[in-house]
Amino acid sequence: MKIKNILSALITAAIIASCNHPSVPANAEQESRLPRITPDYTEVTVPANICPLNFAVQEGATEAVAKLSYPGGELTYGDGVKVQIDDEEWSLIREAATGGSIKVEVYAKIDNTWKAFKPFNIYVAEDSIDEYISYRVIQPSYVAYEKLSINQRNLTNFEEKEIYNNMAVSTESVGQCINCHSYKNYKTDNMLFHMRQGYGGTMIVNNGELKKIDLKIDETISAGVYPAWHPTHNLIAFSTNKTGQSFHTKDLNKIEVQDTESDLILYDVDNNEVSIISELENELEVFPTWSPDGKKLYFCSAEFEYHIDTIAKETEMIQRYKEVKYDLYSVDFNPETRQFSNVEMIYNAADSLGQSVTLPRVSPDGRYLLFAQAEYGCFHVWHNDADIYMMDLKTKQVQKLNNVNSARSESYPTWSSNGRWIMVASRRDDGNYTRPYIAYFDKNGKTHKAFEVPQKDPNFYTFFLRSFNRPEFMIEPVQITPKQFTQKAKEDAVKAKFAQ
Amino acid sequence: MDKKYNKKNIQKDIKPSFANPTSQKEQKEKKTIAIKSKESWLIAFGITLAIIGLGYFFLVGQNSDMLFTAQGRSFFTTNSTFLDECIKRPGGIISWAASFLTQFFYHPALGASIMIAMWIASMWLSKLAFKVRNVWMAVLAIPVICLLVSTIDTGYWIYYIKQTGYWFYGTTGYLIAMLLVTVYHLFKKRTDLIIATFFIGFSYPFFGWYTLLALIYISVSSLVRFSKETTIADRYLIPLLPLVFVIAVPVLCYFFYPELRFIDLWTCGFPYFINDKLISYIPEIPFMLLAITPLLFSFLPKRKEYTGKQAWMVYLVTIVTMVSAYIWIDASNFNNYNYHAEMRMNRAAEEQNWDKVLDEMSGLPGDASRQMVLLKNVALLNKGEMGTKMFKYNNMGEPPTNGFDTLQVHMVQTAAPLIYYYHGKTNFASRWCIENSVEFGYNFDNIKMLARCAIINKEMDAARKYLDILTTSIYHKDWAERLIPLTENPQLISEYKEFDTVNELWSSMGSVLDGDNGLCEMYLLNYFSNTMNKDCKLLQELTLNYALVQKNIQLFWPRFFLYAQLHQNQSMPIHYQEAAYLYGHLEPNNVNIKQMPFDKIVAERYNGFQQLSQSLLATGMNTKDVGEAMKSSYGDTFYWFYFFCRDIHSY
Repeated sequence: MKIKNILSALITAAIIASCNHPSVPANAEQESRLPRITPDYTEVTVPANICPLNFAVQEGATEAVAKLSYPGGELTYGDGVKVQIDDEEWSLIREAATGGSIKVEVYAKIDNTWKAFKPFNIYVAEDSIDEYISYRVIQPSYVAYEKLSINQRNLTNFEEKEIYNNMAVSTESVGQCINCHSYKNYKTDNMLFHMRQGYGGTMIVNNGELKKIDLKIDETISAGVYPAWHPTHNLIAFSTNKTGQSFHTKDLNKIEVQDTESDLILYDVDNNEVSIISELENELEVFPTWSPDGKKLYFCSAEFEYHIDTIAKETEMIQRYKEVKYDLYSVDFNPETRQFSNVEMIYNAADSLGQSVTLPRVSPDGRYLLFAQAEYGCFHVWHNDADIYMMDLKTKQVQKLNNVNSARSESYPTWSSNGRWIMVASRRDDGNYTRPYIAYFDKNGKTHKAFEVPQKDPNFYTFFLRSFNRPEFMIEPVQITPKQFTQKAKEDAVKAKFAQ
Repeated sequence: MDKKYNKKNIQKDIKPSFANPTSQKEQKEKKTIAIKSKESWLIAFGITLAIIGLGYFFLVGQNSDMLFTAQGRSFFTTNSTFLDECIKRPGGIISWAASFLTQFFYHPALGASIMIAMWIASMWLSKLAFKVRNVWMAVLAIPVICLLVSTIDTGYWIYYIKQTGYWFYGTTGYLIAMLLVTVYHLFKKRTDLIIATFFIGFSYPFFGWYTLLALIYISVSSLVRFSKETTIADRYLIPLLPLVFVIAVPVLCYFFYPELRFIDLWTCGFPYFINDKLISYIPEIPFMLLAITPLLFSFLPKRKEYTGKQAWMVYLVTIVTMVSAYIWIDASNFNNYNYHAEMRMNRAAEEQNWDKVLDEMSGLPGDASRQMVLLKNVALLNKGEMGTKMFKYNNMGEPPTNGFDTLQVHMVQTAAPLIYYYHGKTNFASRWCIENSVEFGYNFDNIKMLARCAIINKEMDAARKYLDILTTSIYHKDWAERLIPLTENPQLISEYKEFDTVNELWSSMGSVLDGDNGLCEMYLLNYFSNTMNKDCKLLQELTLNYALVQKNIQLFWPRFFLYAQLHQNQSMPIHYQEAAYLYGHLEPNNVNIKQMPFDKIVAERYNGFQQLSQSLLATGMNTKDVGEAMKSSYGDTFYWFYFFCRDIHSY
């Protein structure tokens, strides 16, 4: 009986605590500036189906209260310096504000004095976002690797699950690196990721059937890297690369990842055949991506001629690393004949701008092309000057997306399936750890201020000491379980065949 | 009531009879030796005190520096991200709790006290759980002795252990296992026992290996406890049920842990000492013994009193156990001098207590390790005494080894971040902090170093991140909070004197693209000995010194002349004079030293050195023996270093 009473009291207290809405402090001193909050959700535009935008007030405050005003009501939140919004209440607020905005007034207790900061708005777009994203969770990698996983996150709530974890097959003597997850048309019944070293191979899900393929054949430099699924056919374009790393002794870019060799290949999933797309001498071709109709392949290529015979290619590449600059190309493709023709440089970044273009991605309507651009090199995640640019493929005009960029590295841009949201991997928080940021791209072609993918605990990103690499949108969760991937990973890979 | 007990009572009843001579004899024996309640309590408390004594002696008395290092190489934050990371494997709650407790090793006596208290609690709980008599307390102490050994026998594995919260993991796990067994035996009814088994079995996600051990102990103790039960269900099924859970629960849980390998299901929480080249079984022995010993507890005699030979047997078991324990503990205690000295030097260097660093070098009974030599160089650089004392200390290179296995110790995993940082190489210090964190997990030392490097690099957001993390710790909070204002206002760096030297070196160096190939010392020697800098005296002196260490005459002269140019009207430090005098004689056509104003002592000692070495070599001694013979007279000179400090292998 007593236990029942105690439980009942605890449950009641929990309900009361969970529904607690603090009162707005009276007589707060007015501040004319916006509050410093983390993540920064001031004046951002968010999708109509996004999860609560929990945040913490900085300012050295000991307590904080936020009043959220929306059409039809207002609610207050505050727990210490954290503002964590109840899921169901957020749904009400968000739905009421869709197409409009939520006004947020922040009060913070600093040195025992309450201050009221300039209110800000959170705009709620009428456009939804793909329900899922996936990313590789990795420590900001140098050479060593241990625990790696590819995770999927539901953006409408805070649920995160692992798709595959390398520790399930790694041993002390033989580790495994995983990379390059990719989906066909945002769906997961055709997807892939690559595993290196222990139990190496490319895991390919073909119409729901899981295969493990060895894409490294005698005719190619390496297995497939930087994949791009053809939108209409069961084909995947990859680059093949010979990659090395070296380290800056002082420069804050810290690491250079360089390809000493790099080509493009095409993999026919149904026939398990690899063919060469491009392997030009003195060209480093990389980062293939398809147009939505599948009739054009975009890629980057750097002209680089080795001319010091007395040293190894790797050494020369290190010595001349700033000379490696990639331009943007397109090549026509006939999916029926599998023929490529008419290579065209569509953005001369190297010679005309002294810049290097990487990671192109075409919008689902085929009109725009996003890419990352920095002074040199191919691995912009380590380049602080890397920013996201957008080319209008109709006019060939290029613009820097200031609302998406920061003073630190932005790389790996990608489009949501409806073309209304752009996601990038950004290091703006601290310069070292990559975080997924999402920006609204409205129907007028205008980008809005990017926001960090929300977490239940607003301090999550401070305490989480791993990066979110290669963020990708998905419209559905991955169906194959981690254990199924693990089981398949332990099997021998099927060797791909070379097709002339 | 068992038969033995009845028999004993009968014997007791007939003892007072005068007519029975056997009884008289027994009574005599009983007067001589008997273990009754009082004695048994004395034994129990005696063993408890012995464990406390051994614990303090070996933990605090012999391994304080190691315990402090252990907390620095551990990590805990109150934020849920750390808990989430821990619980990705069964037994994660123990990892989390053990990581919390490891923080208290910041004050080794406090951490040791907590650990010893948990050991004592475990011992007495196991007595309760297995209904063991006081007299067998020495046997109950065996697992605790294993835990003590497991804490002090790791040697250089301290830098390579991957188990989160290792230092308190076994202690916490064993305490929990004993608690689970105790709770189980509180129940009497069959249904209650089944329910209890169910709950204990499903504590596997929280306690992993120690849940499985508890189930096995429950099974064995139940088998003994219910051996007289009449129904088969009670006699066999109740003991069998926990074993079913041991097999079934991990298999059921397997599907909830994406990163878990099937073969690891039954050992989640058992520490492996393994890297890509070696599996070391010696440090695993205490954990194996810890797991096995409690299986015996149920079979220990249950009688209350012991007399005569039986009493002697009890004393014998107690004494043999404790003496063997002491011998084992002492033999396992990794008391390699350099191992502990390195830890003390690391701490002193981190606190910028350069005198302490040098004191440690002065007090060495043998050769230093290369890590110690480098930290000595850093200390001298900070004290401005490189040129006068660099070769007065031991500069040899005793390779760090465990002895009990072939673990290869690499400086990049032990002290490279600290050494790189004090050489102004913040990017390389950060790199090795991250690389080591990838393999062995983040720890307080690494996060503090990352914060320092970020401050020097002017990456204030990164610095703030690391400092914010540290503010949730118990003992690094103050350090972090003191530096937070600097992240808000980088101009304040001049007020933080601890950054002066590093900032000066860092600011004076350019950036190049290269790598150290995992060899910290070789990289530093090559980099600095090949660098020329006239703008920063500190950096210039470092380049000159490392040119000396390289014994490279061509590198030496330009740096020597630059030093003289930068320090006009100042006396030339003795080692630089020695080098110039030596090189001038070795290659007289290269630089003419005749006009150089050498101190009188330089020439005198050079001549003395040459004469003595020639005379010793003339006796047929080999070079190594000559070096040893001359060490006491000339071991503090560059001459001795140049000719006799050889065959040093960096690691």
